Amino acid sequence: MHFSIRYLFYLYLMYKSYFFAVLFLLMFTSCKYYKEYVTTDVTYDVDYDHELNDWHMPDSSSFKFQTEVVIQKRKNHSESLGLQINAFGAFDVYWDGVLVGKNGQMAKSGQSEIPGTETSYYQIPKKLSNLGKHNVTLIGTQTYNKEAKRGIDVKLKSYLQLHRSPLIVVSFMNLMAGAFLIAAIYYFFLYINSARKELAVFLFGIICLLFFFLLIIEYVKYYLDIPYNQFYTRLKIIGWLTFAISMLVPWYFMLQFEFKRKKLFLALLFIVLLAVYIGYYGHFDISAAYFTITARFFSIVIAIDAAIRKTKGGLIVAAGLLAGVVVNYFMFYDFGLFIAFTILVLCMLYLHTIRAKAMEEAHNASLLLSSRLQLELIKKNIQPHFLRNTLTSLIDWIEESPKEGVVFIRALAEEFDIMNDIAEDTLIPIRQEIDLCRRHLEVMSFRKEICYEWQEEGIDENETIPPAIFHTIIENGITHSFPPNEGCIIFYLKFTKEKQFKEYTLLTFAKNRQAKKEKRIGTGFKYIEARLTESYGTNWSFDSHSVEKGWETTIKIFD
Amino acid sequence: MKILIIEDEARIAKRIERMTRDFFDKEVQILLCDSLENGLLAIEQNSIDLLLLDLNLNGEDGFEILQTFVAGPFQTIIISAYTDKAITAFNYGVLDFVPKPFDQNRLAQAFTRYATSGKQSGNNLRFLAVRKAKTFRLVPINEIIYIKGAGIYTELHLSNGKIELHDKSLEALEKLLPETFERIHKSYILCWDRADKIVVEAGGKYSIQLKSGELLPIGRSKYKEIKDKLL
Repeated sequence: MHFSIRYLFYLYLMYKSYFFAVLFLLMFTSCKYYKEYVTTDVTYDVDYDHELNDWHMPDSSSFKFQTEVVIQKRKNHSESLGLQINAFGAFDVYWDGVLVGKNGQMAKSGQSEIPGTETSYYQIPKKLSNLGKHNVTLIGTQTYNKEAKRGIDVKLKSYLQLHRSPLIVVSFMNLMAGAFLIAAIYYFFLYINSARKELAVFLFGIICLLFFFLLIIEYVKYYLDIPYNQFYTRLKIIGWLTFAISMLVPWYFMLQFEFKRKKLFLALLFIVLLAVYIGYYGHFDISAAYFTITARFFSIVIAIDAAIRKTKGGLIVAAGLLAGVVVNYFMFYDFGLFIAFTILVLCMLYLHTIRAKAMEEAHNASLLLSSRLQLELIKKNIQPHFLRNTLTSLIDWIEESPKEGVVFIRALAEEFDIMNDIAEDTLIPIRQEIDLCRRHLEVMSFRKEICYEWQEEGIDENETIPPAIFHTIIENGITHSFPPNEGCIIFYLKFTKEKQFKEYTLLTFAKNRQAKKEKRIGTGFKYIEARLTESYGTNWSFDSHSVEKGWETTIKIFD
Repeated sequence: MKILIIEDEARIAKRIERMTRDFFDKEVQILLCDSLENGLLAIEQNSIDLLLLDLNLNGEDGFEILQTFVAGPFQTIIISAYTDKAITAFNYGVLDFVPKPFDQNRLAQAFTRYATSGKQSGNNLRFLAVRKAKTFRLVPINEIIYIKGAGIYTELHLSNGKIELHDKSLEALEKLLPETFERIHKSYILCWDRADKIVVEAGGKYSIQLKSGELLPIGRSKYKEIKDKLL
């Protein structure tokens, strides 16, 4: 699945316009196919107008329905004809007085009715299918759902095509359903295995799954004999599924496009959907249609808002949704609905590829940043300013006072050791960072022949910190402080823990050199900020400014 | 003789100071500064002969700062950790570039360049920094026709007919200029490419005629050398 999506995505990238053209063509050829199979070979006429009137005795459950069918034209006489009857009840069907089939078992004395199914098919004997008038008679009972007052519908078609056309439709629809099922499973797996647990991914999975169910339930009628007394159960399920999808799709778009008034919009959507549900209760097809129209309206508003805000994918989704409206205008209800839904899901899939790409890019960028920060950390000790100045001092110490020179070498080696240990980490124990700072101060005191002193308060040994943060602040402190006339330059690190945040304060007690402002916010500060972002996202603050006694740097890490 | 050392690392500054004293032996006054700001102040207050400068040439303004020093009347020797910037430093007219870490010999080599007269710096000079009010202008040396000594400063005669004043003496410039420049007189340095022919005037006075038609005097002691070179 992942690969196929990727592959589709690459295809899409390479041949953007062709991709959409082929997609739409595919969609419409399938419709054409469908239409060809529903048009029948027979032209006929039925002499009633879909109403149950006198044939139905109001007090009894039994009924007799009779109608005349005129066969006007036939192209292929060798093909058998078939009847499609849509009716509630259990009945026997007669064609010119000949029993052609049964639907269920009608109630007899002492035997209750076995309900038939709503749509049933009957083959007409060849010798009785000449041009001209014929009689169709239904004799049966309807024990359940009398209040529904359903009409009886008789259709005459080629028997073969009566069977084949639902097959074609079901095959296409199951194909779509399968795609949605796989998509649903894929996105659920993606959600389960992703560290981020994005709600949008989960929602998309649910939408795909619901859509799979919707397709299955919608077309289950072609291969499952549902007793007519359960006919409305299926419609109810379809209604609920449509309701849920209509709720979830705009929600998904809101998450995807980072829509601002999410709660308000969701509440509004829910109220409208509920109003449709109550207002058209029992009118399943109409309420389902209004559900989708509502969902589409909200989605279009969200997509257009996104397009105006120039959010990625906003324009294409808005276009896709409007295309769905156009399709619906030209297609009859349920088929158009599914095509519109498919366009919608395609839009969402497209959005997902965009999102996946953005995430991949962000991930790559973060990897790049991490390795750049690693490099920067390693460079700290091999950059010429540090290394060559240190070596120059070192030579001097060895030439002038070898014993102390050795102490200097040891301090340098220790600083290098710690640097080496932490080079690949993004967070290190605070104690290790402090050790690094102290080694650095030792090295610098040999170089500058200034006394540097380290003081600390309230350090929690269990805390961690990005590597070389305080080290960088100390480097700055050494560069930008005047040597004291007497005594030491003191670096004082204090840690405090509050309910919502942890705070480190590093004070440098020294007289500040006058430096250009920009210099202070140089690469050193950029390094610190990048490291804090790498480990804490946006949950930190960094402040560095001069104070009366010297320089104060504060790092806050929020929980 | 006054030498200024600008170096912010105390240990290294002391090392340079010690080695400088060792080399110059005699009366030498050494000033120490630990920052560029203090260094510039010291230059204003003292007339120094030689500057030993530690400059972070890696920063954006490293070479801008360098201009302010090389425009001065004294010679500049850079002592720096940023060894990859040596050639550029020479382009700007430093006498030498001593990479850190250095030893006594390397520093002595630089001082020898300072102490010896005549060409010292090789062919790397590209610009002469000229002080213009409070800013500096870089004059490309291929625009210079000849340089005339005028007391403590020099006049740069340029191909566009303009004359720029430089704070360095003719002797100091001679050390920095590449092979194409020749000292033809105690007051003149000429760019060879601009010379046309030698003219002998009445009274045994020698001159050199430039392609522009201008005549410059040739020092009596230089005549033979120049004649050989021109032929």
